[in-house]
Amino acid sequence: MESDGDMYEDSDVESAGDDFYGDGDASDGVSDADDDDFIGNDPDDSDDLCAKKNYVVLSDDDIRRLMDDDISKVFSVLSISKIEASALLRRYNWSVSKVHEEWFADESKVREAIGLKINNKIIQSPELNSVICVICFEDYSSDGILASACGHPFCVECWRGYISNSLSDGSGCLNLRCPEPSCKVAVTQDMIDLLASDVDKKKYYGFLFRSYVEQNRKIKWCPAPGCNFAVEFDIGSDNCDVMCNCSHCFCWNCTDEAHRPVNCETVRKWKEKNRAESENTNWILAYTKPCPKCKRPIEKNEGCMRMTCRDPCKYQFCWLCLNSWSTHGYNPCNKYKPETEDEKKKEMARQSIVKYTHYYERWAANEKSRRKAVEDLRRMDEVNVKELSKLQRIPETQLKFILDAWNQIVECRRVLKWTYAYGFYFPNEEQTKRRFFEYLQGQAETGLERLHHCAEKELEIYLNVEESDSKAFYDFRRKLTGLTSVTKNYFENLVRALENGLEDVDSLNAK
Amino acid sequence: MLRQASRARLFKEYKEVQREKSADPDIQLVCDDSNIFKWTALIKGPSETPYDGGVFQLAFSVPEQYPLQPPQVRFLTKIFHPNVHFKTGEICLDILKNAWSPAWTLQSVCRAIIALMAHPEADSPLNCDSGNLLRSGDIRGYQSMARMYTRLAAMPKKG
Ligand SMILES: [Zn+2]
Ligand SMILES: [Zn+2]
Ligand SMILES: [Zn+2]
Ligand SMILES: [Zn+2]
Repeated sequence: MESDGDMYEDSDVESAGDDFYGDGDASDGVSDADDDDFIGNDPDDSDDLCAKKNYVVLSDDDIRRLMDDDISKVFSVLSISKIEASALLRRYNWSVSKVHEEWFADESKVREAIGLKINNKIIQSPELNSVICVICFEDYSSDGILASACGHPFCVECWRGYISNSLSDGSGCLNLRCPEPSCKVAVTQDMIDLLASDVDKKKYYGFLFRSYVEQNRKIKWCPAPGCNFAVEFDIGSDNCDVMCNCSHCFCWNCTDEAHRPVNCETVRKWKEKNRAESENTNWILAYTKPCPKCKRPIEKNEGCMRMTCRDPCKYQFCWLCLNSWSTHGYNPCNKYKPETEDEKKKEMARQSIVKYTHYYERWAANEKSRRKAVEDLRRMDEVNVKELSKLQRIPETQLKFILDAWNQIVECRRVLKWTYAYGFYFPNEEQTKRRFFEYLQGQAETGLERLHHCAEKELEIYLNVEESDSKAFYDFRRKLTGLTSVTKNYFENLVRALENGLEDVDSLNAK
Repeated sequence: MLRQASRARLFKEYKEVQREKSADPDIQLVCDDSNIFKWTALIKGPSETPYDGGVFQLAFSVPEQYPLQPPQVRFLTKIFHPNVHFKTGEICLDILKNAWSPAWTLQSVCRAIIALMAHPEADSPLNCDSGNLLRSGDIRGYQSMARMYTRLAAMPKKG
């Protein structure tokens, strides 16, 4: 416990930003982060990087409600039918303000563009009592005949065929026009209701519903496979990371996974680079490495980077740099050290691979670790918390701090992962900033390793005991809660600092 | 059921064609003796175009969903035209694809193809050589190539 208090203070040589975060909670360490009572304290909902209030997650019902609201807004203001309002909104990407604007600027132009007309008398030659349907070429008395608002007559059977054919072609049916080639008048919802089969009607309303999300500038589907939620976003806000109710975090802008503190363009470049280099780096994704001491293969099936070889070797080392843990300890190995002068001369091409590999390995290791943490979090939620509740005789509600810790680990792994893409593209010329960045990254890594180790390995002890030791568990809880809160603060500051391009370093240098 | 409807419709078109045979001298539509879903047409190259004086044969293959779905049409006669595939005779024309309307007939498709011969669309070429000539503004180059193929493939041999 004691040794954890200084987690962000045992800086190494480059201490340019030693008190950079000194004004926040981060440097206060664990001690005052848990001034709460052990009993009855429900830790407040964590306001993590993913959950700022610039977006709303929408269910099917929410979407339908929003859609109805928008239609109502339009039809009450323009005094047109609901069906016409819905056609109008679809034409202008479901933007109520755009519809109003266009309509009041030039109503007849808008009507024309969407194919909304006013009269709907069937056009027929006055001297004839019958009408010819120009699809089937049969004669009909006027009651076998139907027309859209334009009045072009077709028989009921041909209408049915026309509508079901267009529905089998996909969402284009939403913009269906009169079958007469020269006519631009829309076939509206009421015709569909009247003529389509139940299956086709369902299809039509499915397309309509999806168009509300897909054409809407403010709403996007959650990209997670099988997820039916959508996210409405405040366009213009700068934090694009959103978390869906299915717990998938993604960037609203590019719909790739959440990637603060790097921007969408860096993610795109980085992923392209990874694809191009995949032949050279596939080995990094391997789950086994030989133990640096006994050379037996050791599999990484834990989340944190501190590895312990099997009996009898028991050698402890860092998964990433393979150095012994006794010298490595919680010292970061995130810094990339270009090789020495003469070696540099050998081969510049190799050099660039070495540099890329350094960053890619750490990026990939954190991603792997994040995935593992997601699994662990699920297991904690479904199994371990229940067991622990029985063993320690504590209600499950009071073990929420464990889930909080794991949620934090998942998020921090993601952030840390992206700091390696950030580092790879960091301009080489900016030496001071680079050193400062690597210092902050190293501290972040150290802090996260501690938290991860505590939530993973130290928790295990309490899952395997027969008799509960409430004092020890109380200390564990204090420690884990403290580490969670400190790490959370540190990472939030880190993300903000990196997104600002470490501009504070300039002011530090100026002093 | 569908097949029945399209058969009925094609039969009406057949009767219409018989009646109108002299009405449109540029188009001669013929139904296959044994299969009402197979048609051929002979169309005259429009005047004041490099296709003038040629007679071009089209092959129609009509789907069972006709007229809800368009017929497939291709040139059997070789033709040098930006919107016609030089080898297969495939035609790039909007009404044969997404702009199809069930109110179109085989006869009106022929009319649309004649119009396309007179007004090539260089921007959606199936024949790149021809499209490139037109787009680069080499109208004379395009015309002389088109005329040459008309003479070679679409005119009765002299003598
Ligand atoms: Zn119409
Ligand atoms: Zn009809
Ligand atoms: Zn989701
Ligand atoms: Zn993005």
